[in-house]
Order: sequence, then structure tokens, then C-alpha cells
Amino acid sequence: MLYIHQTSCISPQGTYPSPGAGVATAGITAPRRPVDNLLRAIEPSYEGIPGSILRRMSKSVKMGVGAALSLPGSAAPSRVLSPQGILIGTGNGGTEDSVKFLKQIIDYNEGLLTPGTFVQSTANAIASQIGLLQHNNGYNVTYVHRGLAFESALIDAAMLVNEHPGHSYLAGGVDEISDHHYRFEYSEGWYKKEDLSGKDLYTTDSPGSIAGEGAAMFILSGTPANAVAEVKGVLTLRSEDHPTIKAAIQLFLERHLPAGTLPDLLLSGENGDNRGLEGYELCEAMMAPDTTIARFKHLCGEYPTASAYALWLACNLPAVLPGHLVKWLPSKEKVYQTILIYNQYEFSQHSLILLERSL
Amino acid sequence: MTNIMETAQLKQQLKQQIIQFLNLTDITADDIQDDKPLFGEGLGLDSIDSLELIVLLNRGYGIVIKDLKDGRKVLVDVNSMVDYIEKNRTK
Repeated sequence: MLYIHQTSCISPQGTYPSPGAGVATAGITAPRRPVDNLLRAIEPSYEGIPGSILRRMSKSVKMGVGAALSLPGSAAPSRVLSPQGILIGTGNGGTEDSVKFLKQIIDYNEGLLTPGTFVQSTANAIASQIGLLQHNNGYNVTYVHRGLAFESALIDAAMLVNEHPGHSYLAGGVDEISDHHYRFEYSEGWYKKEDLSGKDLYTTDSPGSIAGEGAAMFILSGTPANAVAEVKGVLTLRSEDHPTIKAAIQLFLERHLPAGTLPDLLLSGENGDNRGLEGYELCEAMMAPDTTIARFKHLCGEYPTASAYALWLACNLPAVLPGHLVKWLPSKEKVYQTILIYNQYEFSQHSLILLERSL
Repeated sequence: MTNIMETAQLKQQLKQQIIQFLNLTDITADDIQDDKPLFGEGLGLDSIDSLELIVLLNRGYGIVIKDLKDGRKVLVDVNSMVDYIEKNRTK
């Protein structure tokens, strides 16, 4: 039993809450489109982070810390909320600063190097900075399992909550677009070659996706009172064999849903890459005819921890889905209580998150 | 007169380098007074910044500070840094 109590998100859409305005949903109803096939996050002014610390932070650290500190009551020293642990998933960490640091080593012939970019570029800089700023010296772990990094953090949180149901934990997923990393992945064919201006990501019928970035944070505990949703199950799988993937999805659904039932909504990580479409359609085919199918990558882009954005979206979905999200809408109106998030990263890393929203 | 002008130019250059190296995006060179302490109540720099400044002196002026005691005397304010640069620079 893993319950989500609070959520926050910095993304390419208007998902960051204004002070006192509660959860922002503007990005869901009026989405921003990619520029040069990139969906860069809309960063807030990070008012909760001291300027002397902020100036050293890489973008991923800023987004992660900014999203964490925007959770109600989480800003030290007046924080009300005091999670017993911080668990962050990041596929790439602060790649941009890592490259800067490596470049310094070459440019200055392995001589005297500035420490800032090194300190900020390590993947665990996000969780450790949140810990420092929240004066939280509890469990502090970072998962770097590429496309399964966020799910690994969630699984760890679920195990911790199983041991300590009364404790709360901060878990999140963070990744940034690094220009260097984008060029590497572009040359490997993971991003689209054609300009997507004015086109629908999902009907391009070509290889590659659009790059994205963001940070989504969640306060989790084993207590159902006042929870936004319950995470019923999380599964990670590494495989490119479709029968294996299908069997894993089937077993996951049987294990976590009442017999004979299927999710009200499938939130699919389909990303416009025609090479991966078959995998997503495999999961879609396993849903009931009255399961609504929605997609989210046109909102956040593709990045290793995009599933964290999907979880935020699932927790904050409006009652009526905007048309741009919908792939399949059954004729009968539905209340979206059970939501299955299926995501794959670079075809081989698959994850399932099953959510039951509190309505 | 030339020396005074050169020193003034060096101070201006150093202030801009400090801003760039330490990513002090919210201030300009004019905001850094020559005798304003770099650490504590002045610019509010900290120990990580002192390492960045030592690297700046090395890369920009070919100065190697090996003794921490020297560093404490040099990294007081812009005046002390410029004075040390003028006496010890190799480039």
C-alpha cells in the first residue's frame, strides 16, 4: 500500500503551481508545442532556493529541488512536512555539467579544475541538495537505471512504506535536456530528423521522438487518509521480446486488479517513434473495449524519467480529458479511477504503474 | 599614470571574471567595490568559491597558490587580489 499525498511538477507545460494557487493544470488544457523538436521545461524563479546555492546548480538540480520545495510545507525551516527519506530517479543526472567538467579536463590538460560543475553534475546532487535545503538527514538514495530510474525509486519507497507505514517519503523523477547528450542520442536515431512544427507527433510515421525534460515529485506514505491516489503496483522489465512483455503485463494486471476488471484509463508512453509503436499497441490490445487510451509524450517529450510526469498527470487529470490526450475514447462516459501507465524507454526498458485515484 | 590605469583595468577585468566564474548573475562589475570583502558579509562567497577563485588565478594569470595561508591573504577583496596578481602573474 503506497499512497500519494502531494504532487508537484516542473515540465515543458504550465504545471508548476503559483504560490497559493494549488495545483496548476493549465498545461493540460493548453499545451505548448516543441521548438526545434525540443520541449524545454518552463522553469520558475526558484524563490525558495538561496541565490548563493542556486547559482551553482545545474538545470536538473534546480528543477528537482524547485519541484520538491514547492510541495506544500516542504520549505525549510518552517516546513510542516518532514519525509523520512528522499528517493530520486534520474536517467542522466546533470549531464550538461558533466560534459563541462570533462571538457575542462581536456582543455586544461588535467590541471587545476573548478569544483562546481563536478559537484553539481553527479546524479545524487539532486537528492542531496533537497536533503540539505530541507534539513533532512534521513534516507537519501538516487536511482540511475536510465528509463527505469523513477520506477526504481517508487519500488524502494513502496518497500520502505511496507516496513514503516506511518513514515512519509519524497520520491521523484528528474532529467534535463543536455545539448551534448541530445546530439549523441540524435545521431543514434532516438530523435526525429524532420521538423515537427505544425505536425502531430503521433502520426509522423517515422523513427525517433522529441526530447523533453522535467521534474515531478511526490509525497508518499502508507496512510490512506487525505491521499490523492494509491499506487497499486509498479513493475519494471527489461526485454525486447514481445511475448515476454505481454505475459508480464498480463500477470501484473491479474495480480493488482480484481478478477475480470481492467483499468479505466491506459496512459501510454507512445512517443511518435514508429519503431516502438508495436510494443504500445500490444499493451493497448490487452485493455477492455471501454478502457480509454491517452498519451502524454507530446506534453513532456521523451526522457528517461518521463513516467514521473505521467504519474503527476494521472494524479491531476481533469474529469473530462482534453482531446489532445485521447487516442481512444469509448462511447460510454467514464470516471477515471484506475489508471495504468505503460512506458517504454528505447524499446528495451518497460514499466507499468497502476494507480487508483481517490475520487 | 600608466600603472594606475593598468591597475584600474585589471580590477575591472577581474571583477568581470569573478562574476563569470562564480555565475553571479544578479550583480554587475560596478556592484563589486574594490575594498568590499569577498567572503562573509561582503559578496557572501564561501569555501567552494575560494577554490573557484584559486582556479581563476591559475588559468587567468598563471598564479599557483600552494599555501592556504597565502590564499587567505590574497582572497580578501579585489584590491588584495589585484595587488597579488600584479606581483606574481606569469601571463
